[in-house]
Amino acid sequence: MSHVRWGRWLVAVPMAVLALATVYPLVFTVNVAMKTRRDYILDRFSLADALHWENIATAWNSVGMARYLVNSTVVVAVSVVLLLLFGSMAGFALSQLRFRGSSVLFLCCLAALFVPFQVIMVPLARIMGDTGLVDTYPGLVLAYVAQFLPFTIFLMTSYYKTIPTEIIDAARIDGNDVYGVYRRIMLPLGTPALLSVGILNALFCWNDVLISLLLMPSADHRTLMVGVTSLRGQYSDDIPTFASGVLIAAIPVLVIYLFLQRQIADGVAAGATKG
Amino acid sequence: MPVDEAMPSVRPAPAGRTDGTPPRQRVPRDRAAPRGGRRAERLAPYVLLAPALLILLLLRFWPLLLGVNFSFTGDGDRDGLMVGFDNYLELFRDPLFRGALRNVGLLVLLLPVAVAIPGLLATFIYLRVPGHRLYRSVYFFPAVLSPVIVGAIFNLLLAFDGPFNALLGGVGLGPVDWLGDPDVAMFVVVGVHIWATFGMALVVFLAGFATLDASLLDAARVDGASLPQTIRHVIVPSLSRTIQFVFVTTMIGMLTSMFGLLYVMTSGGPEGSTYLPEYYIWFQQGQLNRPALASAASTVLFLIMLVVGLLQISLLRRAVREA
Repeated sequence: MSHVRWGRWLVAVPMAVLALATVYPLVFTVNVAMKTRRDYILDRFSLADALHWENIATAWNSVGMARYLVNSTVVVAVSVVLLLLFGSMAGFALSQLRFRGSSVLFLCCLAALFVPFQVIMVPLARIMGDTGLVDTYPGLVLAYVAQFLPFTIFLMTSYYKTIPTEIIDAARIDGNDVYGVYRRIMLPLGTPALLSVGILNALFCWNDVLISLLLMPSADHRTLMVGVTSLRGQYSDDIPTFASGVLIAAIPVLVIYLFLQRQIADGVAAGATKG
Repeated sequence: MPVDEAMPSVRPAPAGRTDGTPPRQRVPRDRAAPRGGRRAERLAPYVLLAPALLILLLLRFWPLLLGVNFSFTGDGDRDGLMVGFDNYLELFRDPLFRGALRNVGLLVLLLPVAVAIPGLLATFIYLRVPGHRLYRSVYFFPAVLSPVIVGAIFNLLLAFDGPFNALLGGVGLGPVDWLGDPDVAMFVVVGVHIWATFGMALVVFLAGFATLDASLLDAARVDGASLPQTIRHVIVPSLSRTIQFVFVTTMIGMLTSMFGLLYVMTSGGPEGSTYLPEYYIWFQQGQLNRPALASAASTVLFLIMLVVGLLQISLLRRAVREA
């Protein structure tokens, strides 16, 4: 690696400032969430005099955050499992098996990558309505799977391409049929990719607001992110409670990021470089 | 699966061969699966692909066709009737939609900024400024937050009586109505979008740098090239594919993933100044119950994305060749 020395410190200062600008909004929100309403009105910047957890409790109890959290967790968990299952099956077939039409089918999956949700959302809502899937868990799960499957297939295909065919040949000679190779060889060997892609998909689904806003209209079925948007109206004059609600919704992702940032960044990078 | 199943599949030995030794039988048995399983083997790839293809066909390609067809039908009283290009004419007469298109133009203009920031930062991190390891994870972290969370946080910061204006007041500048001034609001939302997403592009750039030939940089240093010269003559040409990729994905991100921010921060206001096609589609479909008009807007958005994508790829190709 080269250490180019041009004005390293000249560059370091703006970078530090930017890092501060990246972190500060969240620090500010945490601080506000821990303040009393009175303290916030008196001084926006002062540190909380004590940790006022009661804001968190108020936010938690007010708009059914618990309910939304359950909705989000169930939908995201099922979506990710299905995405990984269907994505790895398809990726295995497209990368390691030879069959008629494989390149056309791969192009189909790739083409789906370029159909953004906004372009199909109106007819999709109608299809979901006609089949009675609006406002149901399966409906939202299907929408998420359809939305993120092309990306998942794409990454799993490129990962499985790196697995040498000799391993598969050996497994075949040992008496495995195609499904056995998938279950005993491809799934275990694909663990790192499955982990990265799974985390990314979980983030995408968890952070989504448009799809769930469209397909889960009733208050009871809202996902957490849609729930957060309804906090705003309710606490427009109680900023600390609003900030607490925002924090509740952000904490799961922040915790995941602290532990798995490497995998997340690798997944993003893989999506870019495997093109 | 037991190997012995292969036994019956062996062809009868040709008449002329009388030595029919067992190893001879073993060859075809080992190479391929049993005849009973042959068809299953041939079908296996399709079985493995079936769930994915079914979902993509039914929930992506079919709605795409349906939507284009839908955009030529009427809303309300004229539900289901073919109305030709009426929806498209109405779209382009609608000041809200025209505003949304103008904002797309603004995004195209701001695009180089949104690419240059992560590109430069990735360069500095690659050249190992002090603290580069830390910066990578700090810069990336907003990218994992939901646009809803980001929007809510910036709603607090940018409120008229909020901390940002308090800070400005502290240095003697008047308060700005960040989200209430039609001339300012769109820039603010785009700025927040860039704040939230430059980490993604940064990671992509760093992945590109990993493929860069370090000896080229050393050569540039030995030749006494300045940092701008190195960027222009070594880094940009070497990373042309990455730059191209970031340009296209950043543009697509701006056109399709600002909904959460718009929904939380401005709801399209003030005076409709922060509409983007995606928000317009949602608004017509969800709030005004005009699905056919929304479909027409969807089709326009799709065409914009196609044109923008293709245009960028060809422009960048040429630019990189000349660099």
